[in-house]
Amino acid sequence: MSDNEVTLTIDGKSVTVPKGTKVVDAAKQVDVAIPVFCYHEKIGPLGCCRMCLVEVEKMPKLMTACTMDVMPDMVVKTTTEKVEKAQKGVLEFTLLNHPLDCPVCDKGGECPLQDNTFKYGMPDTRMEFHRANNAKATPLSPVITIDRERCIACQRCTAYSERIEQDQGLVMLNRGFHNEVGTFNNEPYDNRFSGNVIDICPVGALTNTDFRFKARTWDLTNAATLCAHCGCNCNITMGTRLNKLMRIEARPNDAVDDGWICDKGRWGHHFVHSENKILTARENSRGDGKPTSFPVLPHDCTIEVAAGKVAEAFKKIVEEHGPESVGFIGSPYGTNEENYLYQKLFRHCLGSNNIDHKTYQDAPGLPVSHYDVEQIETSNVVLLIASDPTEELPILDLRIKKAVTTCGTRLVSLNDQKIALDRYSSQSVQYKVGCEALAIDALTNGLARELGESAPAQGSDQSGVSAEDMKSLVETVRTSMKICVVYNPSALSGEAVFGVKRLLKMIAKVPTMECGAMPAAPMTNAVGAMDMGLLPDFYPGAVPMSEQEEIKKQWGENAPTGTGLSALEMIARAGKGQLKALLVHRSNPVMDFPGGSQVVEALKKLDFLVVHDMLETETAKLANLVLPSNGPGYDEGTTTNIGGRVQARTKALETDHAPDWKIINLMLNALGDETDYDKVADVTEEIAFRVPGYQEISKRSVGKTGCNRESIASADELVSAKPAGPGKNGSLRLRIATFLFAHDKILEASSKLAHHFQPSTAYLHEKDAQRLGIEDGDTVLLSAENVNLEATAKVNNRCQSGGVVVPRVSDEQGVNGLIGVDGGMAWVEVRKV
Amino acid sequence: MTQILFKNINMKDLHTMKVYEEQGGYRSLKKAFAQKPEEIVEAVKASGLRGRGGAGFPAGLKWSFLAKDVFPRYLCCNADESEPGTCKDRELMLKNPHMLIEGMILCAYACRIETGYNYLRGEFHDLNVIMEKAMEDAYAKGYLGKNILGSGFNFDLYTHLGAGAYICGEESALLNSLEGERGEPRMKPPFPAVEGLYAKPTVVNNVETLCVVPYIVNEGAEKYASLGTEKSKGTKLVSVSGHVKKPGNYEVVLGTPIREIIYDLAGGIPNDNKLKAFIPGGSSVPMLPADQVDVLYDYESLAAAGTMLGSGAMIVIDDSVNIVETTLRLISFYMHESCGKCTPCREGTRWLYQIVEKIMQNKGQLDYIEKMEDICDNMNMKAFCPLADACVSPVVSSIKYFRSDYEEYFKNVPVSSV
Amino acid sequence: MSGFTFSAEQEKEIEHIFAKYPFKKSAMLPLLTLVQRAERRVSPEAMVAISKKMDCSPAYVQSVMSFYTMYHAEKVGNYLILFCINISCQLNGCDKLLEYTAKKLGIKVGETTPDEKFTLHREECLALCTEAPMMRINDTYYGDLTEQRIGQILDSLD
Repeated sequence: MSDNEVTLTIDGKSVTVPKGTKVVDAAKQVDVAIPVFCYHEKIGPLGCCRMCLVEVEKMPKLMTACTMDVMPDMVVKTTTEKVEKAQKGVLEFTLLNHPLDCPVCDKGGECPLQDNTFKYGMPDTRMEFHRANNAKATPLSPVITIDRERCIACQRCTAYSERIEQDQGLVMLNRGFHNEVGTFNNEPYDNRFSGNVIDICPVGALTNTDFRFKARTWDLTNAATLCAHCGCNCNITMGTRLNKLMRIEARPNDAVDDGWICDKGRWGHHFVHSENKILTARENSRGDGKPTSFPVLPHDCTIEVAAGKVAEAFKKIVEEHGPESVGFIGSPYGTNEENYLYQKLFRHCLGSNNIDHKTYQDAPGLPVSHYDVEQIETSNVVLLIASDPTEELPILDLRIKKAVTTCGTRLVSLNDQKIALDRYSSQSVQYKVGCEALAIDALTNGLARELGESAPAQGSDQSGVSAEDMKSLVETVRTSMKICVVYNPSALSGEAVFGVKRLLKMIAKVPTMECGAMPAAPMTNAVGAMDMGLLPDFYPGAVPMSEQEEIKKQWGENAPTGTGLSALEMIARAGKGQLKALLVHRSNPVMDFPGGSQVVEALKKLDFLVVHDMLETETAKLANLVLPSNGPGYDEGTTTNIGGRVQARTKALETDHAPDWKIINLMLNALGDETDYDKVADVTEEIAFRVPGYQEISKRSVGKTGCNRESIASADELVSAKPAGPGKNGSLRLRIATFLFAHDKILEASSKLAHHFQPSTAYLHEKDAQRLGIEDGDTVLLSAENVNLEATAKVNNRCQSGGVVVPRVSDEQGVNGLIGVDGGMAWVEVRKV
Repeated sequence: MTQILFKNINMKDLHTMKVYEEQGGYRSLKKAFAQKPEEIVEAVKASGLRGRGGAGFPAGLKWSFLAKDVFPRYLCCNADESEPGTCKDRELMLKNPHMLIEGMILCAYACRIETGYNYLRGEFHDLNVIMEKAMEDAYAKGYLGKNILGSGFNFDLYTHLGAGAYICGEESALLNSLEGERGEPRMKPPFPAVEGLYAKPTVVNNVETLCVVPYIVNEGAEKYASLGTEKSKGTKLVSVSGHVKKPGNYEVVLGTPIREIIYDLAGGIPNDNKLKAFIPGGSSVPMLPADQVDVLYDYESLAAAGTMLGSGAMIVIDDSVNIVETTLRLISFYMHESCGKCTPCREGTRWLYQIVEKIMQNKGQLDYIEKMEDICDNMNMKAFCPLADACVSPVVSSIKYFRSDYEEYFKNVPVSSV
Repeated sequence: MSGFTFSAEQEKEIEHIFAKYPFKKSAMLPLLTLVQRAERRVSPEAMVAISKKMDCSPAYVQSVMSFYTMYHAEKVGNYLILFCINISCQLNGCDKLLEYTAKKLGIKVGETTPDEKFTLHREECLALCTEAPMMRINDTYYGDLTEQRIGQILDSLD
């Protein structure tokens, strides 16, 4: 036993635990269950409920096990007469004014109050007066119902609001018996993480309005799976009944979500049963999305036939026009297995490297360790580059707050816009919109100079960062000793992302520095998509096209090794009539790609467009053939989160429709590849065999909590930053920001989160607003590329002068139309309407 | 009877610097600065001075618990005086504010503290005006501020008003309130001496306790310790109220028989009534029946009698009163003042109130008394802070000594509802 | 919600308050008291203004405000009468005097007179037990009450 450990006795059993452990946690180690209500491992001890009273030798009165640190040679007894009487007493007090709602209370069956009363309480009550009445079934927010009669004032929820969310939105009001949980002036308790109070409430006081009265908890079938929204891949439990998704709960995983999920993860699941789901394969007459009665593809054809038709069509086009004439636009929302198989199909069977999944530049791999989410807590400095976790990766927001307030971590933000986390940062450095490459290079060069290397002098004015700020930033990074760099490649314009990789290499050169990074794109499986080689210039495992020998060894002599077309290039070529066929998987270029109507025109020019998707989209309308994708809730496979952790999605719902990987398998078969995958784990196995970095990944190693894949090294990049061009006639650079609750195909109009939808807004700097004669609240028109976008102006200096920030709030907004089809920096004219 | 705190208490203009200095005020500072701070702590220890706010914890010992070498540290004077029956601190601050200031400066010097806060209950607005004026005068004279009397010692003093919560008299709740929060008590450990105000080492002392310190410095610890009993040294201010002819604050040497306090100092029971019961230490301590009136007024004697000296408030009850009514009023007090944080207190105080109220409405069941005793047992020492225990005191002691008063009510209960 | 703004004088007072403490958070009660005394209540708008000064959420301000009895959500009269009903005062007949006072003002305990002049509340021990029965009107303590004295006091207030 070391200095940091303590040995004590609990109910006669000896247990050794680290110093600072609470008695209640030590007891768990020897299977002694001490009942609690207010104690929660993540929130910390409160001492409110008094349920955990235990007897401790040599102490005059009973002590609460949750607030007491273990002491050497402590003797704790949890089952003495005194303790049992105290437990009965506490339960009697707790139930004194608690309504007998069990028959109509959603918490029944998973209620700690029921459980503890059953185990430790008295069978009868001595309370013969009228129980106090209070507000019942009141909306605390559109998605949370509060029943103040049931509340036992354990303060778990208010402590959660204070310590975890740190926004003090939910508080205790009044005093004594009139204590009640509430918000300011009865306003809704509305933030990104409010739903977690439902999980932690030990009674039925805070309940899920969406789930209210829908099912009894013991009737639910629970699947341990993952959230499919953002790149955090939080662990969740999907509760279903009669094959309908009823509710989602958090499934604590310290390595990922720390026990929490965001409200989008909790309530943004209705798309699973959406009316807009594509359920069967169909052929379209171009442009109207209605199934036709083509004799070639009968209305109720089997998936085998449909898959076969796709394969046949593509094969024909390749034979006629060569492999350069076909392309695949995949998705960072596909699972690793789906993505792997699709790239295999196009490379192995069609000989094409025209494979991509994004519209921004990036390359797989990192020149430093790929840090997992937990390392945010152990790093001295977390550097956010172009990243806004609050909107993009909510659970990361909580983790960073935790690290800053309890682990001594310092947060530094390098961004073109102000973010919510600035409150917690010790330094927020803003560069001008579009100037990230310059700012990042300035940081790299500053470090280089400190290391005695030669580096070009800095032109600070160009990036918008003052020389002092940059110097200070350099110093912070240099002296950090352990730094975690979280960067959002999808928010970096041009080739700035390679500047980040260069920066990481430079940081790693600082003596005694431990440096790791997290590529933090908001999409679910962005990291996985990169790893699986959904790229025109990389094979799976970050093997670049230049490594021809290795590619041929792994993938065969015929494996194509010429760099293919990027997604935007494919659209451009389609527009010119040079790309003949395109398969789009779980992606909606018409809406999500820059170019607006030009994308539509380009796609229309294709000979053959196949869309394989889950929900009806604008792109699906233009397809020749549409294939159904089951999507989250039904699908199985693995995804790789921002921390490089590979986790398993299991299905919660049953369906007759073939899963995506099976559909792709059929296509592979039709094109001559004979591999037959019986189950998705077979694909995972092949990935482990073929993809560098994924050797240890298997169903077993992934288990229920996931497993990190090896850090994948990046290839050398020699690109240098070019300053962004000047604006034309006072137009502003456009910065599209992520908004968590965007009204899109996933969060439809009927979504339970619709109350979060926001109107189209453009954020301006006061200098520009003044120059353009725009005031706060004015309606403005943003124009570019023949597209006009209406928005309400907000003049709050969210970005520096010269830029305008427009959060993407809905599909309807059509904000991507403002960007040219080549995906470059967008300049918009802004004028008052 | 030896008077230390009340020696000149009714002297005209004692609250002014001129008169206070004429009476020898602030001369202890020079004497103290000539000694090492630790020596002052030892002197206070040797004097046997115990906390006068209610807990009776040895003051010098408390001072010595301050975490070594951790700075900054703070001194908080507890002027929250909300214990029913207690109004002694009010008189001290009203008439002799400088004595408190002097005491705080000495305590701060002894404990190497540079910042002090006087937490007054919110309703003491008028006292705050007086205190602030006195402090202003002390600053002007150089008794507060930087380099006091050239000693190199700095001490800044501020007042802070509460806003109406009895629980803020509990030291950890006081600190939370001073930090701008709800006045809920804190978990202990850590104790304020280690992590108090702003998580720094803090001394929290009652007004009266601090007011004694100048005497100890001026006259010496032995002189103070020569008064009183073996475990209760010195004098104590007692607020005598209730059914007495001359209610008021009296300074008694510890060990004085209670009979003397009630009958001699306070003039005895008016209207030819007889003494029925008395609560010797503020409402939070168990009451005693009239036949205990010869108990000596000191910490150990009262503990032996099954009660406590508490804040030093003697509430006298004559035989015109049914104790149940008094008890109900006290339970109501604790119910109102419960902070609500923990279940036994929040629910228990209210339940006790409902039961006693029912009894007084002649609707009580015979098993109510047993039930109350059990509820008290479930509350006592099981709650987060001693407020629950304080509520239990009047209930348990009234049942113990005045069961017949309860039974009076049961006599009136209609047979059918029994 | 229309805003609440501090007057220039109040701003000065607030600066003075902040200077007393090493941490802003301690100014919470002083700021609430400042508002209560000026407005005779603490409105939601005022809580928002305080939250901005204190760099915390309005909900937190409300949480603290609702804990202490000296802060009122509803406006109190020009004269707030707090009538002690605790033990020493009860033993000295405060109950009857409280009844008398309520009758004299023509309101029930807990109410405000229609002309907003007086608000009458029961109150717990105010620390003037040796002069029981007693009451506090705004900042002034009145002890040794009798019906006559109460009448005199109320009549003297305009």
